[in-house]
Amino acid sequence: MSTRKDIIDSCRSSIKTRYERPSLGDLEPVEYPDVLLKFVAQAESVGCNVSFAESEDEIDGIIGAIYPDAMVIASNMKAVKKATVNPDEVAGAQALNHTDVGVVRAFLGVAENGSVWVPQTMKERDVCFISENLVAVMQAKDVVGNMHEAYKKITEKEYGYEDFSESGYGVFIAGPSKTADIAQVLVKGAQAARGMTLILIKDKS
Amino acid sequence: MSTSHSKAAKKFLENREYADWHDQTFWGVRVKRDGMAHDLPEWERLREKASEIKRHTLTNIDVYLEKFADAAEKNGVIVHWAKDAREFNEIVYGILKDHDVKKMVKSKSMLTEECEMNPYLEERGIEVVETDLGERILQLGGQRPSHIVMPATHLSHHDVGELFEEKLNTEKGNHDPTYLTYEARLSLRDEFLTAQAGMTGGNFGVAETGDIVVCTNEGNADMSTSVPKLQISVIGLEKIVPDYEALSVFVRLLARSATGQPSTVYTSHFRKKRPGGEELHFVIVDNGRSKWLGDPLHWETLKCIRCGSCMNTCPVYRWSGGYSYSYFIPGPLGINLGMLRDPRKYSGNVSACTLCLSCQCTCPVKVNLGDQIYLWRQTLDEIGCANPEKKMICQGMEKVLTNTSLYNSLSSKAYLLNMVPSFLKDSAVNPWAYGHKMMTFPKKPFHKQIKEYIKKEQKDSEK
Amino acid sequence: MKVGLFIPCYVDVVYPQVGMACYKLLRHLGIDVTYPQGQTCCGQPMANAGFQKEAEPLAKKYKDLFEGYDYVVAPSVSCTAFIRINYPGLLKEDSHRCHIASNTMDMVEFLHDVVKVDKPLGKFPHKVSLHNSCHGVRELGLSSSSEIVEPKFNKIKDLLRLVEGIEVVEPERSDECCGFGGMFSIEEVAVSKQMGWKKFERHKATGAKYITGADCSCLMHIAGVAAKEKAADGIEFKHVVEILASGL
Repeated sequence: MSTRKDIIDSCRSSIKTRYERPSLGDLEPVEYPDVLLKFVAQAESVGCNVSFAESEDEIDGIIGAIYPDAMVIASNMKAVKKATVNPDEVAGAQALNHTDVGVVRAFLGVAENGSVWVPQTMKERDVCFISENLVAVMQAKDVVGNMHEAYKKITEKEYGYEDFSESGYGVFIAGPSKTADIAQVLVKGAQAARGMTLILIKDKS
Repeated sequence: MSTSHSKAAKKFLENREYADWHDQTFWGVRVKRDGMAHDLPEWERLREKASEIKRHTLTNIDVYLEKFADAAEKNGVIVHWAKDAREFNEIVYGILKDHDVKKMVKSKSMLTEECEMNPYLEERGIEVVETDLGERILQLGGQRPSHIVMPATHLSHHDVGELFEEKLNTEKGNHDPTYLTYEARLSLRDEFLTAQAGMTGGNFGVAETGDIVVCTNEGNADMSTSVPKLQISVIGLEKIVPDYEALSVFVRLLARSATGQPSTVYTSHFRKKRPGGEELHFVIVDNGRSKWLGDPLHWETLKCIRCGSCMNTCPVYRWSGGYSYSYFIPGPLGINLGMLRDPRKYSGNVSACTLCLSCQCTCPVKVNLGDQIYLWRQTLDEIGCANPEKKMICQGMEKVLTNTSLYNSLSSKAYLLNMVPSFLKDSAVNPWAYGHKMMTFPKKPFHKQIKEYIKKEQKDSEK
Repeated sequence: MKVGLFIPCYVDVVYPQVGMACYKLLRHLGIDVTYPQGQTCCGQPMANAGFQKEAEPLAKKYKDLFEGYDYVVAPSVSCTAFIRINYPGLLKEDSHRCHIASNTMDMVEFLHDVVKVDKPLGKFPHKVSLHNSCHGVRELGLSSSSEIVEPKFNKIKDLLRLVEGIEVVEPERSDECCGFGGMFSIEEVAVSKQMGWKKFERHKATGAKYITGADCSCLMHIAGVAAKEKAADGIEFKHVVEILASGL
């Protein structure tokens, strides 16, 4: 078997000129006059329901209204009193199959693509994917314009970095699972969630 | 005067209706990509930065690979190094055997196609289940991908429907894509729940943090790695990027270029083994890449982030289909990668290019794919793969065109060709006649006409 | 300003009228233009087919013929692009110092950027569909390209605006390749024909009576395919310089 050294040496001997790294200082990415407005529009365009709430107390009501037939609701969030399963306490990932609604915390929204940052804050992260519908709860103020800003924020404590670095997993999610693999016809709900709702908690100040 | 590609393309075009659909389908993706690009005023700057970052990273890849592996190991990941496909397959098999794995679910990876991993593992008694819908369709039908991002798009919903009737017991005659997707979802759900290992490819490896980043729309990479206890993620060594700042540039470009979406639905960052999981393994693969890095003319092909936009925009790809190329990656990218891999074996693809250069204007990391095809063509004669007729034509042309008096005498007689009867002119001996009616040659070429015209001008002015 | 006129081999033999239109138009604009006898081909057909070496003596021949001129102009964008981009390499000269390469211009470029023509030219009261050739768009920058995010422009259209009575339209997929590609057209006959046919259909769908462009080779290809399919329906092909010079 080859070693790390063999392969890296082989690369080194091929390198002729070493190029400098460019600065992104002059990239001037587009700025949105209202990032929250853009974020909501973009999230809707990738297939999310977007709801605003005054506080986390409203989460249960919103879920009840959007998913009235949900039997199995999985969440480890204290505010989700309707939860019937807790992904921190299940025996294994398989136990979350047949979840109707999974509710998770998101830490950041990205206006340019409507995605939200979901670091793993639960023991079994398949709740984010195996649930028929995914609900992500996020502070409405935590929205940035683009991925450059997003990648700066997700290494900050306020945006869930402790959870991310401890669990070693985080994902940007932009709407429900999709595919167009059959004849380029867009179908929502390929292997993961078939629907997605964002609950944005308004800033009290 | 045909090549392996031109022969296959001719066959592909026999079904006009299908070829039309194929062209329109992939052109549609190109149009979506244009929409995304034009939405970002900084698009061209973004491409330039992406290209520069890749150049920097590739020419410092020794440093970044060390960094990446150190970071990953610090995160508890078990890192493996494979110099070629054989080593790669052995490593993967070794890991699976150690964990007594009988079934592995996996997300899409062109690297495992490159190394022909699935048959290797299957021969050794391990069931490998593709979980990307397109890949799953191909696996059920025993086909290979015809595109790197949309691997089964060459099939119609009827093709898929009939296949599912046979393999998944779906309703007879129900070929509705939504229904078929749902049936595949149900059947794959069982596979996720019962597999002992999950595998992903990698779009990016982040040197600073040791993450492997995977972009999917279906969520199948996440399903594959959040249920089974063992995870293996595999990555070609050219996929390393320095850090999150660099990553942000590529993530913005990838899905916009690939499918015309602002991002993929899932951009997943794998850094540590799952809480409660067994192990996380990364396999870093060379398989020729470190050597290609030293090719002064072609090393920049390694900048590619596998978005597939060069295929969608390539008119030759759209009018000939992925299977007309002899390398497992088709289109402009595949022509170039095939030549890097084995020029003698894959030289039959370099004819598949009009040099229109649309590919390199679309490429998000500015790989000059068309220019490189031009360069590869220059090597064919040297390696003994030049078409003899083409060589004869070119050498003959040189003889005539460097000899002015010979050229003048022949060109002045070109009109005589008009008198050649059409059954000869338009016969199979003349490849131009396959698609074209022979042109009519005027009695006098320009260089004669202008001589006379100037003489007359001078005479007139003397008057 | 001394200007040399380069008439590439296939224009010389198949489209002499295009050469004549160039000469007359340049003279009409008061330009000191000369056609040096003894020219043949730029070498592109061989080079694109993989025989760049066979093009080297032609590059030398071209340089000898045109060295003394301030500009060399040609009614063929792909020949011009080949000279501009590949001659420094073929002549083994520094690309910034290879004047023969940088001073060679396509007719449209020359009229638009150097002469900066702004007075009315010929008269052509017809609907014309404009064919934007790949090498014009993506190598010489005669127009913005559909792939690149940049302000829209089109130098050919700018010039055609100086023609009285003309209506200029563009087909769908206005800068997609027509499928000629030099040796491609005889090596990949099926794809080449299909692309040419689709290109013709899109031009035809505009309802134009004429198809024009800055590259005779694309026009030759599309016309050949249309004629083979007996579908031309009276649609005529004209190089853009023929239109600019019409009636002068």
